[in-house]
Amino acid sequence: MTPDIAIVGIGETAPVRRSPKDLRSLVMEAVYDALDDAGIAPGEVDGVVTDSVVMPTTVPHDYVMAQLGATSRFDGSISYGGAGIACSPLQAALAINAGLANVVISYFGVDWGTRPSGPYGFHDLYPAKQTFEKPYGFNAQPIYFGLWTRRYMKEYGLTPEQLGSVAVQQRQHALLRGGGQISKPLTIEDYLTAPRIAEPLGVPDCCLITDGAGAFVMTSNERARDCRKPPVHVAGTGFASIPVSGDSVFTQDPNVLTTPGAHPATEQALAMAGIERRDIDFVELYDCFTISVLMQLEDMGFCEKGEAGAFFEEGRAAIGSDLPINTHGGFLSYSYRLGIEHVVEAVRQLRGEAGTNQVANTRFGAVGGFSLPDYGVLVLSADG
Amino acid sequence: MTETAGDEFQPFWDAAAAGELRFPFCRSCQKFHWYPMIRCPHCNTADISWRAIDPTGSLYSWTVVQRPFDAAFNDRTPYVVGLLEFPDAPGVRLITNLVDIETDAIEFGMAAAPAFDLYDTAESRLMFRPNVKPARSLE
Repeated sequence: MTPDIAIVGIGETAPVRRSPKDLRSLVMEAVYDALDDAGIAPGEVDGVVTDSVVMPTTVPHDYVMAQLGATSRFDGSISYGGAGIACSPLQAALAINAGLANVVISYFGVDWGTRPSGPYGFHDLYPAKQTFEKPYGFNAQPIYFGLWTRRYMKEYGLTPEQLGSVAVQQRQHALLRGGGQISKPLTIEDYLTAPRIAEPLGVPDCCLITDGAGAFVMTSNERARDCRKPPVHVAGTGFASIPVSGDSVFTQDPNVLTTPGAHPATEQALAMAGIERRDIDFVELYDCFTISVLMQLEDMGFCEKGEAGAFFEEGRAAIGSDLPINTHGGFLSYSYRLGIEHVVEAVRQLRGEAGTNQVANTRFGAVGGFSLPDYGVLVLSADG
Repeated sequence: MTETAGDEFQPFWDAAAAGELRFPFCRSCQKFHWYPMIRCPHCNTADISWRAIDPTGSLYSWTVVQRPFDAAFNDRTPYVVGLLEFPDAPGVRLITNLVDIETDAIEFGMAAAPAFDLYDTAESRLMFRPNVKPARSLE
């Protein structure tokens, strides 16, 4: 498949931990902004794709289409959270290329800053987790990733300074970008002395918590020519998974220190785009934790296994260096809107409208979406 | 008869109450799996039994949790979550709490045995106590 489509509009709400607006209002604000950015009237939307778990149960497709006054001809959903959003262009391309839809929106939003269960509510999906994990206090993502981090440090010799350099680098990018949830600089000394959450992970290793939303608009490359902004083309999409259930994946995956699906999804997306890793100018990675950035960078094949910590420590992930990563500061330092903000940032970069945090001469950018045990990769291109 | 979610987990707790550690074992392909599944995920047959193993595990990793994420743990931090492997049950890893150990003394590969003496059927938590007896090597 050649995905003959482009992203023509992006929208996002201002990054805040707690918003006075409810989730539907935040999502609609982002969707309207994205349509306005594209110069496409709401009534022209005729398809919608989101993740299949979070959005359908919080801001359902039918509500959004009714609010837009738009008639749906295609309705899709894939994976959940970040992997689903990174892969939503995969389904949109299938629909648009087949003539099933003309303008497809994707959106994602969370109100986890104000919702009492926050990001931990999903645990109720899994009876085994309730029975064999929660009673031991194995009940939140920092604890799962803390357990992985400890073992990863033993296997690969990762140092606290190397891990901390991910947090420090992304904070620098967030301050360059501006407008994020945190405006305070972070030094490696700050990192090393920060309060621990689940050892060895501390506060700066963990993503922010956010009330907010993002959205983007996709259409055929032909229709994209008449839009308000230069189109950013969907060059390749990849989705991959492993046969380990979401409740078992933190403990029972035989390759527990490898990001499930990241390598095959990357191969699929690059093959579709007809490019190599060296052609990628920047990467936006699902950075729920510092350790997950390192694992994905390695498992996508941008670093050898065990070498991503040194890559960050040597400054090679900085804007202006070898391979800029999370150019807006990501979930760690900008805001936490699972996957969608990485797509929005990649589009800004490829349009050349990122301003203070612009990567020079961008042609290709990659987005990685991580939702254990699924992985999604999106390769975007500035050229047609 | 209707089954309620979680019924398939009860043999683990019944075994713990009897002072045993048992995991689902497929009699057809002779492999363990964890967590419990409806059929064996390796060969898709339903011929699954709960096999008792040598309950001494080897510590794969651990984390010391400093901040509670559930009100039930407000007065329990810091606590240690450990992930154990078992030489007798390849492919199984078990989440537990490590008890009676200083956090600085915890090591990779450390042997730990179930604290059956602390097991309380009302709580359904089988904790492990690191011991001096070395675990058989997994390598």
